[in-house]
Amino acid sequence: MSDAQDLRAQLEALRAESIERIAGTENLEALEEARIRILGRKAPLSSIRSGLGKLADDERKTVGQVANRVQTDIETAIQQRREVFEAAELTGRWERERIDVTLPGDEVPVGSLHPLTRTMWEIVDIFVGLGYRVADGPEVELASYNYDALNFSADHPSRTPQDVFYIEGSDEQVLLRTHTSPVQIRTMESQPPPIYVVCPGRVYRRDEQDPTHLSGFVQLEGLAVDEGITMGDLKGSLEAFAHEVFGNDLDIRFRPHHFPFTEPSAEVDVQCFACKGRGGDCRLCRGERWIEILGCGMVHPFLLEWVGYDAERYTGFAFGMGIERIAALAHGVNDIRYFWENDLRFLTNFAGLA
Amino acid sequence: MKVSLKWLEDYVRVDVPVAKLVELLDLSGTKVEAVIEPGKGIEGIVVAEVLAITPHPNADNLSLVDISAGGEQERVVCGAKNFAVGDKVPYAALGARLPELQITERKIRGEVSRGMLCSGSELGVTKDHSGLLILPGDAELGADVVGLLNLNDTILDLEITPNRPDCMGMIGVAREVAALLGNDLHIPELSSDPVPVATEPVSVRLEDAQGCPRYVAHLILDVAVGPSVGWMAARLLAAGVRPISNVVDATNYILLETGHPLHAFDAQKVHDRSIIVRRAFAGEKLTTLDGVERTLDPADLVIADPKKPLALAGIMGGASSEVGDSTTEVILEAAYFEPGSIGRTGRRLGLRTEASARFERGADPDSLMFAAARCAQFISLAAGARPSVQIVDEYPVPIARRHVTLRPERTVKVLGFEISARSQAEHLRSVHLVVDEQEEILDVEVPRFRPDIEREVDLIEEVARLAGLDHLPSTLPKGGAGGLSVHQSAERTLRRTLAGAGVEEAWTSSLGSSADLDAMGLPNDHPARNMVALMNPMSEQENRLRTSLLPGLLKAAAHNVAHRVEDVALFEIARIYEPASDSRLPQEPLILGGVFTGHRRSKTWLDEPRRWGFFEAKGVLTSALGGLGAEVSLTPTEGAPFHPTRAAIVMAGERTIGSIGELHPQTCDRLDLPEGTVVFEVALGPVFDQMPGKVKVSELPRFPAALIDLAVVVDETVPAASIETAIVAAGVPELTEVKLFDLYRGEQIPDGKKSLAYSLRLQAADRTLTDEDSTAVLERVVGALREKFGAELRG
Repeated sequence: MSDAQDLRAQLEALRAESIERIAGTENLEALEEARIRILGRKAPLSSIRSGLGKLADDERKTVGQVANRVQTDIETAIQQRREVFEAAELTGRWERERIDVTLPGDEVPVGSLHPLTRTMWEIVDIFVGLGYRVADGPEVELASYNYDALNFSADHPSRTPQDVFYIEGSDEQVLLRTHTSPVQIRTMESQPPPIYVVCPGRVYRRDEQDPTHLSGFVQLEGLAVDEGITMGDLKGSLEAFAHEVFGNDLDIRFRPHHFPFTEPSAEVDVQCFACKGRGGDCRLCRGERWIEILGCGMVHPFLLEWVGYDAERYTGFAFGMGIERIAALAHGVNDIRYFWENDLRFLTNFAGLA
Repeated sequence: MKVSLKWLEDYVRVDVPVAKLVELLDLSGTKVEAVIEPGKGIEGIVVAEVLAITPHPNADNLSLVDISAGGEQERVVCGAKNFAVGDKVPYAALGARLPELQITERKIRGEVSRGMLCSGSELGVTKDHSGLLILPGDAELGADVVGLLNLNDTILDLEITPNRPDCMGMIGVAREVAALLGNDLHIPELSSDPVPVATEPVSVRLEDAQGCPRYVAHLILDVAVGPSVGWMAARLLAAGVRPISNVVDATNYILLETGHPLHAFDAQKVHDRSIIVRRAFAGEKLTTLDGVERTLDPADLVIADPKKPLALAGIMGGASSEVGDSTTEVILEAAYFEPGSIGRTGRRLGLRTEASARFERGADPDSLMFAAARCAQFISLAAGARPSVQIVDEYPVPIARRHVTLRPERTVKVLGFEISARSQAEHLRSVHLVVDEQEEILDVEVPRFRPDIEREVDLIEEVARLAGLDHLPSTLPKGGAGGLSVHQSAERTLRRTLAGAGVEEAWTSSLGSSADLDAMGLPNDHPARNMVALMNPMSEQENRLRTSLLPGLLKAAAHNVAHRVEDVALFEIARIYEPASDSRLPQEPLILGGVFTGHRRSKTWLDEPRRWGFFEAKGVLTSALGGLGAEVSLTPTEGAPFHPTRAAIVMAGERTIGSIGELHPQTCDRLDLPEGTVVFEVALGPVFDQMPGKVKVSELPRFPAALIDLAVVVDETVPAASIETAIVAAGVPELTEVKLFDLYRGEQIPDGKKSLAYSLRLQAADRTLTDEDSTAVLERVVGALREKFGAELRG
């Protein structure tokens, strides 16, 4: 047998033996030990390679190639075996590191916005989307703004101290505004048309408190004055509002009414959202099929003239609603005093910031 | 206004179902508040006569009443006292039904009661449940009470808006209904002429023709006062008016029918049958029909005779000339009074009657002759009387009917839908306005029963409501550039931030009292004591406008604690009211208030519980205001309502905006709140004013920052903030941030001292900072602190 043949035989034997040995290792340490034994500097493969020098050139080349292949095969076997061990170890680590994801998270306590705030914002945002801005006026108001400018006669019964809080020492000239309507006058006085504003704010009446009445409550007023504004525009605007707040599938209707500061005036009903206008023994609308939500009308020319607008050229509409009432209807609250008690058991129903 | 459909049909045919009528009224501006069917659920109640009344042997407040309904005599036990033998009363026999009640034989305190006698409220006729309903004397025994009282009727309870006095009478409502249904209106005709009697007429003198432009007086002779005929009494009862006598009932009936209030005087108690309408003398006294002696004012209009005032014009009659059983001659008054005067006197005296409610809104001067004649006719029929032919009608300056012009195209412009001039005219005519169709305009003559129609827009409204608002199209106006102002957005951000920090938003009352400030322990010279007071508060607890949000928030907190919700964090953003020396109106600054007690976080599996304390509340406040760009700082303060050593003034920049602190333990005690409750209150105006405009970004640093830590030991009394200020002031240009990260007392730190550890961030624009740079900064800062506070570097 030539040297070359001998070397080839040795290489083949080494390969078989090594692969068997690698397969027999139990862990990464044993594998590393085996690798050094097989491929290390003093290992058989090195000594076989050093025997290549004795061979003739062509033999050296072919045997050398065999040696390379054997080495590659052994390395592949080692790598494969290593991967087996590494995978097993990772699996163990994952098990050791397992957490119970159902445990409560580290929550940040979040408070709540008051339902009156939320309702107010919701309504304001609807009108902001329709091109309105937000106006403001004093709650302690001159009787001239609360009444005279709004076309209430000097003897109008609603001025009675039985119903209105007057400020001491003011000779009934200063009062707690009974509605947000004076803001209409203040806004018109402060700028020329066009005007598109909503005015949310507190108002006051000397009502005995009961589930539907408070002596202080929140109203939202709207005012649009421009050339060519019609009562149809009022209807369209309030329809947009009512659909947004109460639902798209509900009709609204205008019922003629009377307010000194609008003409024609109307009250607006929305179809009962509990019974969808079917009536019957519905507890929300008491069978009436409609629920009153606000008062509105075309701005009375008296007001436009009062602030010095051209009442022929400009027309406008105004509307006013009770925020408590809208919030109570929207959230199924049957006693509006809840809104002012600040009982956390009530408020936390409205958790979140939306 | 309660409208009986049966009665209504005297004037107009109602040929639609009730539900349709209700809808038509609703949609034309006369809201139907309720539909009442008074006879519903009432069965077997009959007219009975009281035969005998004997005391109940076992109960002082009950009696045994023997009655007969035409058949057998029965005995019932009764608690009422307002009747006598011979009265006709409603008797619910055994087996009869009342709403929610079936009549059976019962034993009451040992005596058998076979049935029940009914009050007006049990029958739903009146609200009176103090006694039995006494039926008209001519009622037939055994007759069905439901039929007798017209209870098998439908009553519409109408909301009449203040501009429509004409609808405060049946005929006015009928006029509306006729227009809505397209049917004819039938106004009752006056029957045969009054009998001429030869007697001196009544004299009427109008001394104040402005207060009373027209006065009609009828003299009626040979009056026999007695009960009214049954049908009239029944109609009055059904309308909620108690029958009194044939004369008074007739005036009340005409009031309900025409909406015009009348008054009957006993003519023999009117000196010289001479009526004078004048203003009262100062201090003049008049006892009105309700038995109250009233002191009059020269602004009050009175009806008087030459010797004395007889009545408060248009409001209430006087006792001295009241029609009673012995009256034989009556002066019947039908007058038109100026609305303002009636309203003023009514308000001054706190007296509002069916009559004044109508005069206040504006009666119809043209209806006086009809009302008076029809009333006289009823009195003559019922009381066998003879009306005088000489009707006195003082009307010095007749009030002309108003003419109002309507441009039909203006209607279209205001309403937004097409409606022809012809059709507008027809709608106006349907409610008895007199329309002359001219070129381009409608000239409308307005009857006096419609005082509300004064100008064009009133006619537009009339067309709108009669044509129906369901014709309105749904359109949108142009709109403007909508949006929130910077301050409005900031306020929203603030509310969201606070809620996001775990604080619940509250809304509390604007009204309070000085007792709220007492509870907070505020001294008498505290600025919050200067409050706007109400002239007419509803209670002592709410007689002033608040000058602080804290009382409301503290009450809310206490409410929760009392309901065992002990972890409370509340904020409110609202106005307070501060009297202004230079204005009739107070200032109304926007304020943020907060109250904190109990736990901020309860114990979790991860963490220990955390309570609300000064620093937790401070952190909420400074991060919320800081979020708006405010530079908030605190300096210690003392005084109510705070804990003497745990409170601070809050500054935004250079301006004081409020305060924060633990409440004084005594204050907590008074308010039923746990000790350690923290509050803050700051004005938002200055915070909004200091909000930065558009942010300008500086170039990002090109070299890395260096961080150095530094711990100094100082006296306990040195405020942390002043150390921070001194570090900043030490003149290190590279310093970009100072942060306190530790506060330590204890081992290695002498008593009366504390160790404060700061982390400093250094940044140079042109180079990487070296260790030498850091050391130099450290030395410089420590040097400054040593010099200022005697601070020592902690090793």
